[in-house]
Amino acid sequence: MAADVRSTRTPGGATGWVEERLHLGPFVNALLHVPIPRDARTFYLGGITLFLFGIQVVTGTLLALYYSPTPDAAYESVLSITSDVSFGWLIRSVHHWAANLMILFMALHVLRIFVQAAYKYPRELTWIVGGGLLLITIGFGFTGYLLPWDQRAYWATVVGTEIAGGVPLIGPSLLLLLRGGAEVSEATLGRFFGIHVLVLPLLLGGLLALHLLFVHQQGLANPRHAEPRPGRPVPARPPERLKPFFPDYILDEVIAWYAVLAVLVILASLFPVGLEPKADPLVTPEHIKPEWYFLAVYQLLKLVPETVGVVAPVALVLVIVVLPLLDRGGEVLPRRRPIAIACAVLLLVGLAVLTYFGAQV
Amino acid sequence: MRAIRPFLLPGVVAIASLVLVSIASAGAPADDPATGPWVLEVSQATPTPDVPLETAPPLPSPIAHPGDASSTGCVDCHAKVDARQAGIADEWRASVHGREGVGCADCHGGDPTSDEITVGMARDSGYLGVPDREDTVGLCGGCHANAERMRPYQVATDQYSKYFSSVHGQRLLTAGDDRVAICTDCHGSHDVKPASDPTAAAYPRNVPALCASCHADAQKMQPYGIPTDQLDLYKLSVHGIQLLEKQDLRAPSCASCHGSHAAKPPRSDEVVAVCGNCHTATQALYEESAHSRLEGVGPKCWTCHGTHDVSEPTERLFLHEGGVPDYLCATCHSPTDQSLRLEMDRFEDPADRRCDTCHHTRSLIYSQVEAIAGAVGGARDAYDTALGRIEDAAALGMIVTDADVAAQEAKTELIKARAAVHTTKLTTISALTDATVAKAGEAEALATAKLAESDFRRQAMVVVIALIALNVLVLVSLRRRLHATP
Repeated sequence: MAADVRSTRTPGGATGWVEERLHLGPFVNALLHVPIPRDARTFYLGGITLFLFGIQVVTGTLLALYYSPTPDAAYESVLSITSDVSFGWLIRSVHHWAANLMILFMALHVLRIFVQAAYKYPRELTWIVGGGLLLITIGFGFTGYLLPWDQRAYWATVVGTEIAGGVPLIGPSLLLLLRGGAEVSEATLGRFFGIHVLVLPLLLGGLLALHLLFVHQQGLANPRHAEPRPGRPVPARPPERLKPFFPDYILDEVIAWYAVLAVLVILASLFPVGLEPKADPLVTPEHIKPEWYFLAVYQLLKLVPETVGVVAPVALVLVIVVLPLLDRGGEVLPRRRPIAIACAVLLLVGLAVLTYFGAQV
Repeated sequence: MRAIRPFLLPGVVAIASLVLVSIASAGAPADDPATGPWVLEVSQATPTPDVPLETAPPLPSPIAHPGDASSTGCVDCHAKVDARQAGIADEWRASVHGREGVGCADCHGGDPTSDEITVGMARDSGYLGVPDREDTVGLCGGCHANAERMRPYQVATDQYSKYFSSVHGQRLLTAGDDRVAICTDCHGSHDVKPASDPTAAAYPRNVPALCASCHADAQKMQPYGIPTDQLDLYKLSVHGIQLLEKQDLRAPSCASCHGSHAAKPPRSDEVVAVCGNCHTATQALYEESAHSRLEGVGPKCWTCHGTHDVSEPTERLFLHEGGVPDYLCATCHSPTDQSLRLEMDRFEDPADRRCDTCHHTRSLIYSQVEAIAGAVGGARDAYDTALGRIEDAAALGMIVTDADVAAQEAKTELIKARAAVHTTKLTTISALTDATVAKAGEAEALATAKLAESDFRRQAMVVVIALIALNVLVLVSLRRRLHATP
């Protein structure tokens, strides 16, 4: 009798074959079949960032099959990937554009969380871990930029590492650690490659798992109401309307992923990533500019003393990461958090203005 | 009678003629350029006759005086006299002489060990005062032509003899004309700086302005009847742009062609060697040519490229645009014996520096000129077309390194073909233009392939986007069905 019951519950085919042996059903059910607030408005930004990371893993792995991380061969290998390898240009261009979009969507995700106050109780740790993910992603951008070993890559890294060298107290040691010597050289390329393809993916993978675990455990935040705290009276409100995470939310998320994929294909096809002349430490280009997400810092350094220009962005990032510990108010609606929203608007306008002027020649 | 237009004649000839005039007039400078006998020589202009040089006078000994580099009696007093003299003292201290221990008495004589004016500046103690301009060259040469004295500084010691071989020196020597440039006019007096100092007037980049300080001054040049537009022409020339704007010290200044201490315009038959100092390969090609075999009456570098106003050489140098010039037999042939002659006036206007200025349309050589012009022009067009294609492909984000390499090779062949024009040999030139066209064709084909690949990418993109859209439609339909489920 018991055997009959088990046979009716276990699905057939390959899924049934695996399930019969591993009993993963309850685990998968626990992962997928969770209710989420119908009022939640994620705009799928976190999921899109996750999707773009997946794209980076796949395209990055393919690129690594052909890439040679030495100054003598790096440029030629990237040239070969772009010119000779079948669809190499596509893989490299998608990797390039997905990296940029990943930073963009991560920034939008952070903004969404901030505006909806989803970093507040009980999701402080999720936000802090997310801060770690943001820093790692920027680290990906910084280390990956050098790998083509062309003039732009080389000199942007020279300037970037010099900025890091301006950090008070630890600057000189940090500069030496990043470059692996006094100059940007073979040692720098080797360690940037190692950090880009091994250290950062492992770190990001670990923190990402933690981030998703926290999200799963806590569920999505309701942007209309603060989460009730234990021991405090729960205000009377109608029961929260819920919807299933799977398949409703997942379906919408996948449609969003397809839209981003389409954007990626268009960007990679119409604006394939190029290659400047090979890095030459003896020829300094007239204008050296970092990627767009570093332009604000780049411009700030032109306006203020180096120490301030280095310390201010680091301090800002630290403040953002520990924001849930500083802002512990119970309000979640933006109109009831005027100071926080005003600070954010000021910060965004400041970043936009600095980026705009940083982009000018 | 021909019109006399000395101000419009090329500077090269005019300045060269000055040497002849200087010696012929031997004393009083010509006040009226229109009446001097030398004007006829200028108008005839070819070739500049050799002129026997007056040898340099014996080298004077350096001024003997008491004291040494540490004797500062002169400066101690003069620096306190007034601001002007204090400024002179400062200039001297900062000068190469001040740094190397060459003091006031070395040029002015006197006794620098004394603080007493009656002793230090006494004629009895050898005080000379301000040296005459005529004596200055010998004064400088007393030390600078002394190999033993100059040994520690590793500088040349031939300036004295060179100076007296120059237009300036010869005029000073033979005509006693002290308005010509002497050492201090270019190097300063108290503020002498080494020519390697970028702030020195004699620094290569500053030389054009230095020479122009006299030669662009119409009043100063009026007695000599030579043009004053050399600097204006030079500034617009390839040489001037390279030296003055791009600050490329490899580019020639006035001194590179005329000499510095031995300043003199190169004679017509010297021009090829002068230009060949830098353009060595081109000189070798020219010496293979029919032009070179004509020697004195053959066209030289200046005939096609000009002198101070050398412009970017292009295919337009072959033939006149919009009609051929009027030919007179006398353009190229002597009216008396029909022998060839090179009339410099004919090439004064840059628009007339063309092959068909000499080779008239009915001549056999004209057809060869046309063939050369066609071959080089065709090669240039092929190269330009390839560059255009490469630019198009690059603008679409395509990597065009291989096409760039082929275009670079085509450019090398084109440069060789253009240089080979100096040989005047059609077969030599055609071989190189054919190579240019072949390489340019290769580059164009590679760029065209990139353009085709870019087209393919865009078409493939449309297909992929269509597939994505199809998937999205299916998912949207699933979503609708899901939401429709009660």
